[in-house]
Amino acid sequence: MGKALFLAPIVFMTLFFALPLALTVVWSVFERTMFWMEPGFTLFAYENFFFSARLENFLSSMWHSSISVVVAFIFGFPVAVFVRRRIPQVAQHRVILLFILPFMVSEIIRIFALRPVLQRTGLVNNVLLELGVITEPITVILYTPLGVIIGEVLSFLPFIVFAGFLAMEAVPKYIFEICDDLGAPRHRVFIDVILPLAAPGIFAGAVFIFVNGLGVALLPNILGGPGAVNAGLIATQAIAALDFPLAMAVSAIMMTTLLGLLYIGHRLFDLTRILSPIN
Amino acid sequence: MKQFEFNRRMLLKSATAMAAVGAAGSFGLSGAQAAGPLKLWTIGIAKVGAKDWSAMSAQAGIEIHYNAKSARADEAIQKMVVGDGSKLYDAMSDNGGGMEDALASQGAVVELDTSKIPNWKNILPIYNPGGAAADTIRHKGKIVAVPYISNADSLAYNYDKIGAELTSWEALFDSQFKGRAAMQNDFGPTLTNTAIYLKQSGKQDIDNPSDMNPGEVKGVCQFLIAQKKKGQFRTFWDGFGNGLNLLASEEVLVSSCWEPIQIVAAKKSKMDIRYGTMKEGHQTWNNCFMLTKGGLARGQADAFYKLMNVYLSTWFGARTLATFGFGPQMQGVNEYVAANPKDFDASLIAARLAGKADRYKVKGNSWQNVFPTHIRDYQDWWARVQAA
Repeated sequence: MGKALFLAPIVFMTLFFALPLALTVVWSVFERTMFWMEPGFTLFAYENFFFSARLENFLSSMWHSSISVVVAFIFGFPVAVFVRRRIPQVAQHRVILLFILPFMVSEIIRIFALRPVLQRTGLVNNVLLELGVITEPITVILYTPLGVIIGEVLSFLPFIVFAGFLAMEAVPKYIFEICDDLGAPRHRVFIDVILPLAAPGIFAGAVFIFVNGLGVALLPNILGGPGAVNAGLIATQAIAALDFPLAMAVSAIMMTTLLGLLYIGHRLFDLTRILSPIN
Repeated sequence: MKQFEFNRRMLLKSATAMAAVGAAGSFGLSGAQAAGPLKLWTIGIAKVGAKDWSAMSAQAGIEIHYNAKSARADEAIQKMVVGDGSKLYDAMSDNGGGMEDALASQGAVVELDTSKIPNWKNILPIYNPGGAAADTIRHKGKIVAVPYISNADSLAYNYDKIGAELTSWEALFDSQFKGRAAMQNDFGPTLTNTAIYLKQSGKQDIDNPSDMNPGEVKGVCQFLIAQKKKGQFRTFWDGFGNGLNLLASEEVLVSSCWEPIQIVAAKKSKMDIRYGTMKEGHQTWNNCFMLTKGGLARGQADAFYKLMNVYLSTWFGARTLATFGFGPQMQGVNEYVAANPKDFDASLIAARLAGKADRYKVKGNSWQNVFPTHIRDYQDWWARVQAA
């Protein structure tokens, strides 16, 4: 019985993670045919990725996702800290639920809903024009990299709030009381106490946002400028052109990036600490 | 299939066909009743007459089970050639002049017996043997597809804001519309339309804008990269809703797009958004229905032919033209509209047909190519345009 309990997650991970990932890598080195692919070994798909503009596109989407992570942290993590420190224990989960509610709405709708807010004749410009703050509509907030970053932050902010809150739950409340009793300034408490203790949760939230920023093709498609792409859209476009090995190679590269990030994160922060409240 | 350019001959035939007199008759179709509804895999705009498929179903006298399909070629290939689409669908639609060859060559769709489609006699003459579009519905000389809509895609522009007729793709690259221009986020139509412009304006030597060699693709993309770096484009649109929103919200004033986008954008914004005739030419295309191998095996051929008879009727042709601006594939639409004045705005229909005839007349038109010979070069250079 005991062994079976350990086997279950191993079987699950093998079936739904390791096997698909292995197949993705195998297919990425297959030969492309007119409509599909055939067994073989070629690194052409990788060459096609690393020695073309696709790498540049991939790197720029990584850069934009990184900015989104930082912005989401700046806005989202203080919320998690505030809820944990200031909201009564009994109400904390309900308050956090409010931040997760946007997840109940389809991602497509959430992203589409941003357009009438940010566009030339949208809510933001109309209000600012009405107030006399601007005389010409601001066009830099939509169909630009900034538009994509705004979309990523607004779409994925709950990830950092939720993951941050989970991490903060692992921090006993008396630690804050001790800091207060000792008269520690707020910024020292944040940097020396909260950040190290909540690091695994922050990292997990950051990875969620980063990976979604890389993979959700809708964001650059709807909010980005001419030809804006991320890794997800590169793969989608490869499939549209019936270049399946290339799509597999992009997926494999994305997965490798994610695994690399998780490995670094685990070495640095011990990600199992996220589950310490459950323990 | 061979690539070909829409030339004056085709234009004249097309214009003549549209203007020709001939009403579609209604025919009782015989044949065994197929078991179950006809499982149709097609795009939403393939229906007219009602918001759902009830009107199409009533006209054909069959039950239709609609399955939504995108316009992407890869989706059809994946389902019908690689996947189990033939088990799922009895009939499907896709682009003519490429997809019918791809699907028929893989045995996914079957040869058709046009004698079972009474309205076939009304089909535009361009589809008859030797006609300019004959190849777009045939595979190895055998008919495998029934065309139901076509168009010559062009430039939509906001006449209210611009105050002038636009007749050249030059407008897309004109500095007066810097940051207010958009093209489609798809290398196929965008590179073809740009190639048509560059070729016909003498800016680049291009043999066939629909099937460029690597050097030609490079030249076209370098031109687009330069335009993009100048800030000419607001964005590249993807999907009907995006294209529509860009025009209706005044985000852009000029956009290369599908005609239904222009029609709906004009209605939605209540602005005078027009669809021009470009002197350099347009990308032309049609969309066709095909009977799948599975559909034939399941005894759905008769139901398929009944539906195809509707698609080649003036009842459908007039409505798809009025609703979406798509070109009807049969003769006699003007007469049908004249005979049913309560159902149609005759002047609007006449204007749309005239507009199409004008666009089809342009010498530089070029047929849409789903699978260009050097598709890898198209892909790679399009990635560079995106990265620029």
